[in-house]
Amino acid sequence: MKKTVALLLVVMLVTSMLAGCQSQASDKIKIAVVGPLTGDFAEYGTGFKNAVELQVEEWNRNGGVLGREIELVVFDDKNNGEEAATIAEKIVADKDIKAVIGHFASGVCMAASPTYQEAGIVNISPSASHPDFTKEGDFVFRNNTVINVEAEFAVDLAVNTLDKKKVGILSVKTDWGTGTAEITKGLVAQAEGMVVDHQEVVDGTIDFGPNITRLNEAGADVIIVVAMYNTLAPFATQYKTVNPDIELVGFSNAYSQQLIELAKENAENIHFPTIFFHGSTDETVASFVSAYESKYGSSPSSLTAQAYDSAGIVLKAIEVAGKADRKVMKEELYKMTYPGVTGETKFDQAGDAVKIFTAVKIENGRFVEVQ
Amino acid sequence: MILQQLINGLALGMVYALIAVGYSLVFGILRLVNFSHGSVYAFGAHIAMVFVGMQFGIIPALILSIIFTGVLGIAIDKIALAPLRAKKSKAIAALITTIGVSYIIQNLLMIVFGSQTKFFPKLFDYGNVHIGGVSISTTQLFIFGVSLALLLLLTFIIRKTKIGLAMRAVEQNPKAANLMGIDVDFVITFTFFLGGASAAIAGTLISGYYQVVYPTMGFLAGLKAFSAAVLGGIGILHGSIVGGLIVGVSESYAAAFLGGGYRDAVAFVILIIVLLVKPTGLFGKKGVVKV
Repeated sequence: MKKTVALLLVVMLVTSMLAGCQSQASDKIKIAVVGPLTGDFAEYGTGFKNAVELQVEEWNRNGGVLGREIELVVFDDKNNGEEAATIAEKIVADKDIKAVIGHFASGVCMAASPTYQEAGIVNISPSASHPDFTKEGDFVFRNNTVINVEAEFAVDLAVNTLDKKKVGILSVKTDWGTGTAEITKGLVAQAEGMVVDHQEVVDGTIDFGPNITRLNEAGADVIIVVAMYNTLAPFATQYKTVNPDIELVGFSNAYSQQLIELAKENAENIHFPTIFFHGSTDETVASFVSAYESKYGSSPSSLTAQAYDSAGIVLKAIEVAGKADRKVMKEELYKMTYPGVTGETKFDQAGDAVKIFTAVKIENGRFVEVQ
Repeated sequence: MILQQLINGLALGMVYALIAVGYSLVFGILRLVNFSHGSVYAFGAHIAMVFVGMQFGIIPALILSIIFTGVLGIAIDKIALAPLRAKKSKAIAALITTIGVSYIIQNLLMIVFGSQTKFFPKLFDYGNVHIGGVSISTTQLFIFGVSLALLLLLTFIIRKTKIGLAMRAVEQNPKAANLMGIDVDFVITFTFFLGGASAAIAGTLISGYYQVVYPTMGFLAGLKAFSAAVLGGIGILHGSIVGGLIVGVSESYAAAFLGGGYRDAVAFVILIIVLLVKPTGLFGKKGVVKV
């Protein structure tokens, strides 16, 4: 009996070694995508995965890159820093992986990026907006704007477009939320508005009663909400039962179909800055949106579109460089201009993308562009 | 401002009280803290959401949710806890089991419904009532009313019915109750059904109030409700209500005057203080030392 088991184990060991050999011999080009596929932020990670998958499929249909097939390797970091750091180690150890697209929250990205920088592998985050993220080094990129640029646009929407000078701020207590709220405060003062109150909530809060009472009694006419849709939607619903005239301004990561589904009529007239607008009449955007919708049955959000472009950028860089080399690719990224669904992307010296914002608002249960 | 925050707090407190009642029920009979209760509550909310989505109307959806969630409560007991009791394993084993069950339910909800936040239609909304500068929404009043009615009903069941008498007998001494001809297993099953049913009512009402449903909704709410139950004296129903209201009001004031970062801590700070001063909780009786 014991012998049989031992024999079986030996066989298994040998087979697994052989299997290892096989994958090494493959001449596929591997791209890793990492995001939260389970847990609270699963929809964002799933969006990353879907978008990159779609991009890779399109390339493979046209013969891959440099005549080689592209293989996608998917990891789930649960939006957890420790998990992300472990995954980063795993990724850099696999020499076939040429680039990493991902990590969702800024804090999580920054837990993983030192590993990528040290190993010299390109990391593009479609979502990280913390100013310090790309300061890690020259291999770390973001296909998203630094939050200052977006905050400036959001403040402009509140103070000028909506023409409300008494601004309240609601922010989530995360690296991103607290940082953005501070930046926003400074910008409101510059724009000749006045911050009447600032309320902070823990991410995942659904009862905003106390915060709304405070904001309302401070006389706020517009609230800039520094949070994702899962906070913005119940906040809007609860605020409008107290004060139906309140105006709300969100950030691009709250720009999601889910927001309308959750807040229904209370989502009306919420304004956002966004890089990607899925209702755009632009041809590349329209064909991407329809391809995405027919494959996954939901419409892509802004961050999903940025993930789609990130994959396109990586593959283009490999093609232009003429070889799949981690270092050569990186050099190429600084030089190229990529026309994608989120407009033309060009990385500056820091590795930050320079993007153009569009203003959208919700009207009759749909997102429309603000003229 | 202070009054308005009190109203906010009372509405929030009723939410905790509704969940806390479930902890108290099971603890009262089995002397077991059923940590799966938070997930059962999330389950109840999801079931109600499904039936509301199928155009059943809110009352039938609530009734169906009560039945399904009550059955889930029984299933938890029969599958996970009854075997432990039969083997006379340590109390701590059952406690850890309930934590495990809680994660299983939560993750099943994520697999079936997805982890995103989902919409739940508003219950009973007829605008706001204004009394001297304080505005109360009719939904808040409704939650308050239903919670009170539920509490009275549960108290009636326990005090005035035959099954309630059996429950109290089992609570005092399961062995003696068995010898007197009480079907202890049935009483326990019934208690778990009641616990599940109250979780379904809490889940439906609270989802209707906030209009959102998500798989992890029971985690923090469950912990706070548990501290509310301990605060009021676990095992005592009206204690759970008072405990819930205290936790809700203090949380509301903490959020308004100390900042959002402290609101979650306040419930637990109060819990620790009460346990230091009066370990049995506000309404708790001294436990009888069994020899």
